[in-house]
Amino acid sequence: MEEGAHLAYSPLPALLVLWPLVAALFVVPLGRWRESIRNAFVVVATGVALLGATALIPLIATERRVTCEIPGLVGRLVFTVDSFSMLFALFTTFVWFCSTLYAIDYLKHEHARDRYHVTNLVVLAAMLGVVLAGDLITLYLFFEALGLVAFLFVIHTETDDAKRASIKYFWMTPIGGFLLIGGIFLTYALGGTGAIGPFPAEHGAETLRWAAFVLLLLGFGVKAGMLPVHVWLPDAHPVAPSPASALLSGVMIKAGAYGIFRTVTALFRPEVWEHIEETLWHFSSQIGLVVLWAGIATMFIGVVLALGQHDAKRMLAYHSVSQMGFILAGIGAAGYLGAEGAMGYAGGLYHIVNHALFKAALFLGVGAVYVRTASLDMYKLGGLWKKMPLTFLFTAIAAAGITGVPLFNGFVSKCLVHHAIVEAWELHEVWSLGVAEKIYMITCGGTACSFIKLIGLVFLGKPKAEYGPEVRDASPRMLGAMGLLSVPIIVLGWRPDLLLKGVFEPGLHTWGLESEILEHFLDVYFLSYADLMSVVWAFAIGFAVFFLGMRWGLFRLKAPEWFGVDHWYRRGAIGLVTACEAVAEGYEALRQLDSRGLRRLGVAYHAETDHADRAWRRFTVTLFTGATGLHAQYVIQEAYVALERERQATVHYAIDAAIRRLREHADTDQEHRRAMIDAVRDISSYTAMRLFKERMGVLSDTLHVSRSDDVRYAFARIAGELGAFRKPVAETAIDLARRRIEGENVLRETSAATNRVMSEERFDRRLDSAMPCAHRTARPIREALPSAAAVGDLRDRGLGTLEQTGKWAADMARLIVQAVTQERVTWMMADHVDTGSVALTRRQIQRYARDMSFNVAVLVVVLLAFLVALAGNR
Amino acid sequence: MESQLTTSLVTPAMFLLPILGAIAVVPLTRTSPKARALGLGLACAVTAALSMSFIPGVLAGKIYETHVLRLTPSIWMFMRVDAMGALFGTTISVLWFLALVYSAGYMADEHRRGRYYTFFMLALGWTLGVAYAGNLLTFLIFYELFSILTYPLVVHEETPEAMAAGAKYVIYILIGGSLVLLAVVSTFFLAGDQTLTATGLLSLEKGRTPLLAVFWCFIVGFGVKAALFPLHGWVPDAHPAAPAPFSAVLSGVMVAAGSFGIMRVVFNVFGVKLLRELGVMPYLAGIAAFTVVFAAILAVRQDNLKRRLAYSTISQMGYVTLGVALLGPLATTGALVHIANHAFMKGTLFLCAGLLIKRACVTNVSQMNGTARRMPWTMGAFAIAALGMIGTPPLSGFVSKWYLGLGMLEADQPLYLVILLGGALLAAVYLLPIVYVAYFKAPPATADVDERSEQREAPASMLVPTIVAASLTIVLGLAAAVPGLPVSLARLTATGFFR
Repeated sequence: MEEGAHLAYSPLPALLVLWPLVAALFVVPLGRWRESIRNAFVVVATGVALLGATALIPLIATERRVTCEIPGLVGRLVFTVDSFSMLFALFTTFVWFCSTLYAIDYLKHEHARDRYHVTNLVVLAAMLGVVLAGDLITLYLFFEALGLVAFLFVIHTETDDAKRASIKYFWMTPIGGFLLIGGIFLTYALGGTGAIGPFPAEHGAETLRWAAFVLLLLGFGVKAGMLPVHVWLPDAHPVAPSPASALLSGVMIKAGAYGIFRTVTALFRPEVWEHIEETLWHFSSQIGLVVLWAGIATMFIGVVLALGQHDAKRMLAYHSVSQMGFILAGIGAAGYLGAEGAMGYAGGLYHIVNHALFKAALFLGVGAVYVRTASLDMYKLGGLWKKMPLTFLFTAIAAAGITGVPLFNGFVSKCLVHHAIVEAWELHEVWSLGVAEKIYMITCGGTACSFIKLIGLVFLGKPKAEYGPEVRDASPRMLGAMGLLSVPIIVLGWRPDLLLKGVFEPGLHTWGLESEILEHFLDVYFLSYADLMSVVWAFAIGFAVFFLGMRWGLFRLKAPEWFGVDHWYRRGAIGLVTACEAVAEGYEALRQLDSRGLRRLGVAYHAETDHADRAWRRFTVTLFTGATGLHAQYVIQEAYVALERERQATVHYAIDAAIRRLREHADTDQEHRRAMIDAVRDISSYTAMRLFKERMGVLSDTLHVSRSDDVRYAFARIAGELGAFRKPVAETAIDLARRRIEGENVLRETSAATNRVMSEERFDRRLDSAMPCAHRTARPIREALPSAAAVGDLRDRGLGTLEQTGKWAADMARLIVQAVTQERVTWMMADHVDTGSVALTRRQIQRYARDMSFNVAVLVVVLLAFLVALAGNR
Repeated sequence: MESQLTTSLVTPAMFLLPILGAIAVVPLTRTSPKARALGLGLACAVTAALSMSFIPGVLAGKIYETHVLRLTPSIWMFMRVDAMGALFGTTISVLWFLALVYSAGYMADEHRRGRYYTFFMLALGWTLGVAYAGNLLTFLIFYELFSILTYPLVVHEETPEAMAAGAKYVIYILIGGSLVLLAVVSTFFLAGDQTLTATGLLSLEKGRTPLLAVFWCFIVGFGVKAALFPLHGWVPDAHPAAPAPFSAVLSGVMVAAGSFGIMRVVFNVFGVKLLRELGVMPYLAGIAAFTVVFAAILAVRQDNLKRRLAYSTISQMGYVTLGVALLGPLATTGALVHIANHAFMKGTLFLCAGLLIKRACVTNVSQMNGTARRMPWTMGAFAIAALGMIGTPPLSGFVSKWYLGLGMLEADQPLYLVILLGGALLAAVYLLPIVYVAYFKAPPATADVDERSEQREAPASMLVPTIVAASLTIVLGLAAAVPGLPVSLARLTATGFFR
């Protein structure tokens, strides 16, 4: 920047921002001590801020741009003041001073006055920080602080209405903040350095540029009450106490306008020395058009909604939306016109100042009415001009300002904006801008109508209720505040050159823009016939709408709820939370499913391993007992138990017989008796054991060749007959016992006796004959098997090394198994317990032994295979 | 700036002091609780002061080194304080000190205080060891020690929920720890025992595949602790179960130790250049971004306050990993600063949650109506920390998000801004309603009659640490640029990595 590069240093801007913060520290202690001193203190504090802002005027007049820095946050907080910032600081502190003066009396019937005054000062600091900020991060810091602290204004009364409105405000503010910081981040992607100044040309993609612009516009627009993010404003502004409403609607809303102003005219514009080239203004003029149309839409819809209100403060809040539309239209025109945008600048900024003054005055006036009558419903008030003449006077001046009556300030700015739009239209003859100009005129008419309504219904006409003595003019301090605000409304209406020449011209020069057109305006257009006629038209429309509306009740029409964006925002917010919940529930369900699935998998795994284990067991059992299939297993198991019982019964029988015999012979020698019984037991045990083994062997052999059911049936039939062979066993045992006692070896005799019993019994024949299909005996099958000779033959011819080894290993395994089993069985036979369950246990132990031995066998096989493999390698 | 190496005997004292304190607890428990409180407070304060004493030297470019113990002929246990370690170490010891002071009030009526204090001090020692570890083996030793030996603190209450949470914690941590072990061993195999320097240990000579395997082993291993998305399961269970002061350090620095480990891996083991060639970071960034948003979405629905805060921790730690994964100096600065800033913000929130549990018997968000009237200081601290979490200027959360945002643009990935701001928006959705109901909803009618004195503001021993942590949130934001505070150390670290 050729001229802008010159930056003078002055600590004043930083002091101006810090002073209210410091002052805020004293409010609570003073308030606890004496309320009156606190009141005086806050008025003085805002007065000092006003004086400080005034002190900027000579400084800027000589230096043009002033800057200073204080350390803080991610580096330094930078404050830079040019003519425009100074203008914002001036009207901010002025309106703040008036509002604070007014608040002292107004707050008498409110609670939490300390909180109000602290908020008041902190928000003032934040507001000054926004408009004096020298870079984007400082701007963002104070912008967020402004939004969050002003929340305390909105909720101050803590009524249900206030809480409802505050929740909406509560959400819109951070969301606006996020959009804004997103936009600020993107300016860095466009090559910005954080300073409030143009980006390097041709840096960053077009889409990125648009994204940054839209984010910034929406982020600032939330605060500015721009359509379609205005929804919080008409709820939040009226519920605050009136002096706070005046600040919210008059001043704080301008923080957003200030941001949009800087976005359009400082960020997205060519460097100051490049302004001669038309093409570089291209993007700037495009976004200018967007802002212009946002402004037109905002002003029109705002005024339409305002007409439908009956609450005076709510109506004023809707007018704030509408008036922001005027401002945006001016700023948009400035952007659209680029280098020739002086008229737009002037219109937008002039209207910002004007709106701050008359909207604050209007809120204060309506607030005074509320203090006296406790009512805000326009349709229920009336004829107050007699009771409250001065309040009426000041409110009427403000209304004249907002409707644009000539010689009041609104007239000048509205004419400026109007000229800017017309200029924009004439530049390229875009027909849509012609339409915009018509909408503008209609909106002016609507504004006129609204304030005819306000003044007419509240102050003029007949009183609709009897007013008591308490309805009198506002207190002197409140009137003083309103009077103070009225002065500049009139002055700026009479002397537009004060701002146009005093502030805008140097400001425009700082940014390298022409300002001749403002001179032209003052000379030619100001109070010209055409402009005056446009006011007449506006009022004509206003009166027409007012009378038609009052007659047909048009003002009481309500649009359906889905018509407002508000409705859709609420749906969106609820939708967001619902979506979050749905995601969380889905996730939870997924996790449940997961854990249930895992559990099921665990159960299935256990079932499978169990199954496999049983199959393995069956396989090994089959391998060693020869029985195949589950049924055969059962048969064997049953038969085992039955035969084992039979064996034990046989031994018992023999011992019983021996005891009987001893009794008959009246043998009283204890020694001899015991020896006798022992001998009988030994001999009978041996015999019974052999019988048992023989029977089991026959059974399993038969099972190989017959159906297991048949075997089972047959065994069941002959099981009873087996008891007949106990007697011969017992007799043999008793016969041989004597010889055994005498020390003789009776093994041969015992064997012979056993063989005799076995040949008598012919267990296999019995079983065969008991089979249901006796003709299908084992014999043919046995014959079909290879004979021993054949096997020997095979051996002679020779197997392969591996086969031989395998065979040998299998034989070894069988041998080992047999050995182990034998050991166990004999050991088991040696004791004398004999019940069914014990037999089963024994059976299980035996089975275990078998499994173990098989495992050992497998190990041996593996080892051998390993050895063989080694041998093969060599 | 050339770094000068300085041998320092302070470094081993840093982790020995808390361990000695922990040993001293046992006899002191028998004799006098007061002496114990004083002694431990003193040990912790000295540790914090010592950790701060490194900062001026580190800022001047010094690096403090100590060979502590020879583990094998070739491997030393080796401590090394660089800017990153100094930043993390100071954060740890200061937050620990606050939590210890708070414990004096919080644990006054709890059982088995001796066990609690012993393991609390031990954990400080181990965690400092992680911060100051100079080579991977030392890092691994301290990392495993502090992971496993915090189990008694997680299950301290010994309720069934705490035991279940503890079991979950141990399973997660052991799996993560064994992956880290595997990765460390592989790194030894690939690179040998080397000091953690700013350029990285590994190179592409050994081929891509082993490097990729090692990288993902590291990331999954540390990701368990850093609560990256599919590995975050233990966090939301462990936090509500643990005592509040331990939740504060668990969330504030112990989860961050995982992120710290990821940083060590990314910058010191692999090095920026190698990772750019490997091209794995975009995947990590994707996982981290998903973690940020997903955990925040889950947090919205939680009614248990500590559980909600735990999900918030997962989300915020996602920011740190995201900042690392973008591989840019500004994003790295943001990630490092966010570790420190998050420690104090989340510490404040958990300390407040503990006060609510102790003084108002409030564990759920739905019971919080009007608590600000009874406990104005507590809820004031809570509100500040919550706003900081969202990234409101001038609080510290804003500073880290500012650097992260600029880092995203520097890495030329502006779409991650959506994640950054979306996560912040969701943080607003899950934190601000708490503040709102605490201040502006009427308290339940039955609460005010009985035990009025019980429900007043907490005693100073618990309130002061909470308020100090909250004011640190403000100071670290407002004065972020002051040398010696996290931003300066983080910038120094980042310039070292990206030289």
